[in-house]
Amino acid sequence: MTSRLMVRVLVTLVAFAVLARIPVGFDVGFKFDSGLAVIWAFGLLSLVLLTGYVGQISLCQATFAGVGAYAAGMMTATFHVDYIVAVAVGVAAAFALGIIVGLPALRLHGITLAIVTLGIALVFDRYVFQDHAFEWFTGGTGGWSVREASMFGLQMDSSKHLMAAYVVLLALFCLVGLLMVNLHDSGAGRRFRAIRDSELAAATMGVDLIRYKLLAFGMSAAIAGLGGAFYPLVAGNVSPQPFWLFTSLQFAAIAVLMGVRYVPAAALGGAFMAFVPDVLTRFGHGSLFGHQYEISYDWFQIAVGVLLIVQLIALPDGVWGDLRHRVGHARSTVGALGGRRVKVA
Amino acid sequence: MAALAAYTIIGLSLGGIFSLAALGIVLIYRTTGVLNFAHGAMGMFSTFVAWQVFYGWSHPFWPGWISTLLAVIAGLVFAALMGLFLEFAIFRWVRTRDPVVKAVITIGVLLALQSAASLIWKNNQYHLPIYLAPQAATFTIADVPIGANNIVVIVAALLLAFGLGAFLRYTSFGRAMRAVSDSPTSASLWGVPVGRVGAVSWMLGSLVAAVAGILITPFINFDTTSLTLLIIDALAAALIGGLVSLPLTVLGGFLLGLLETYPTIWIQSIGFPRLVALLVILAVLVVRNPRGFAVAAK
Repeated sequence: MTSRLMVRVLVTLVAFAVLARIPVGFDVGFKFDSGLAVIWAFGLLSLVLLTGYVGQISLCQATFAGVGAYAAGMMTATFHVDYIVAVAVGVAAAFALGIIVGLPALRLHGITLAIVTLGIALVFDRYVFQDHAFEWFTGGTGGWSVREASMFGLQMDSSKHLMAAYVVLLALFCLVGLLMVNLHDSGAGRRFRAIRDSELAAATMGVDLIRYKLLAFGMSAAIAGLGGAFYPLVAGNVSPQPFWLFTSLQFAAIAVLMGVRYVPAAALGGAFMAFVPDVLTRFGHGSLFGHQYEISYDWFQIAVGVLLIVQLIALPDGVWGDLRHRVGHARSTVGALGGRRVKVA
Repeated sequence: MAALAAYTIIGLSLGGIFSLAALGIVLIYRTTGVLNFAHGAMGMFSTFVAWQVFYGWSHPFWPGWISTLLAVIAGLVFAALMGLFLEFAIFRWVRTRDPVVKAVITIGVLLALQSAASLIWKNNQYHLPIYLAPQAATFTIADVPIGANNIVVIVAALLLAFGLGAFLRYTSFGRAMRAVSDSPTSASLWGVPVGRVGAVSWMLGSLVAAVAGILITPFINFDTTSLTLLIIDALAAALIGGLVSLPLTVLGGFLLGLLETYPTIWIQSIGFPRLVALLVILAVLVVRNPRGFAVAAK
């Protein structure tokens, strides 16, 4: 085990220990937000892989999460399996859809790929998740409701054992995040980045484009689906609303906003996406100078849109990326002043 | 047979609106290199401004046509100003950036406009449509009754498409726009004001989107999301035109309208037309050489 890997494992363990303790003692609403934050963080992490590493744009990541959620919901509600099986089926379903979406992506890139994935997100949002023809999968208009489930015999549900679900989710996120950071420098990661920088050059160097692009789409969809598969557990039911087109667009916006090339930015974005709207709607009402005001969810999405625009003009590498550069710059400046050489990055 | 004709009329009306929306996308994409995902949202916002004037601020004693006229003018003026604002506040600053970055910025615009509209006009509320012609008026051509509003849509779409084409072909500013869309660098070397051309494209594109939005209200479930989501149909039509050709785009719009309407004879589903749009997009992108689209993206 190299020292760099050891540092990463240590940082991940500390982050896990701290994050797992944070929601303890807060009310159910915040515990639900914590679970949701990790689910959204998985969605953003899937974009770190697909966009940050491989350079493929996708506007249907919430669709993958939704397929994972519906598949998991269907498995628990219809077949009453152990929840780990439901999660596995959810991830497998998302992976399969990812491969299918990856097929047109073999010929497309950039904005045409954005158009196709937008169309896929819209078809799932308006058709598959809502139409009678797919009731076996979506459970009809009411969706699936998952009141209690167990994983490895550990009781989990949305009302009483929310923390158990949160801790398992967080552990999985830390694991997948660590794997993603390591993937960046591995052989597959180098091939991915070669595809991002130039598909032609990558193909010339012998990178199997078909295999690695499909793999990237499948893995990315599986990551989003892994988060989504826990949605029925955390929320208690599945409905089309959380996985509609605008969530996909928010994923893309927030992933870019936070820094689409960095794994910690996904965690940051997930927390942003889950907590900020709830805090806004909870505390954002009252009266100011005699005027009643109420800050609704819409203000959050307006803020996301405006922040994204400002960020893309001013900080192209995202919030996390910019912070990293600043810290690195400060460190090298300090090093230069003190006459010591400090290794950056 | 009469049923088929009725569906054809509906399809052509929808198609006219898709054509209009797609024209704006192609216009903006060709001259500024921005693929505008917020096009539906922009049309939606202007349409709601018109709706507000029509239902909110009109005086009940005014004759109907005055409120209609005022509403349409308000919507169009707002649309033009919004287009100019977007160009000057945002897209002027990112002209040299990658087309994907510009497209992602339009997603930010989409989210902001969508939420602002849902904040002002409430998302899931039923809104009465804006009728340009009397709602019940019909013409009968060869035993087929055609609603006056359908005729308004089809005629307006064709007129605007030809008007835009003539503007691009026969006026000096239109020539400037075509020059910029071919190559901004050489156009600027020839003295074409590239910045002003971009601003006018945004204004025109936004105007056409507003017209499409106002015209479509009698035919769809009129709320903030449904108009924003028209973007996918508009993009499908624009892709049929290769994101370049205006006549092919108009044709594609009408074709898509028919393709989305005929299946509803057999399939009662709100979502199914979206699947048709996606299949059209996939078919166009797989059949055509995708790299052909990169040409217009500077």
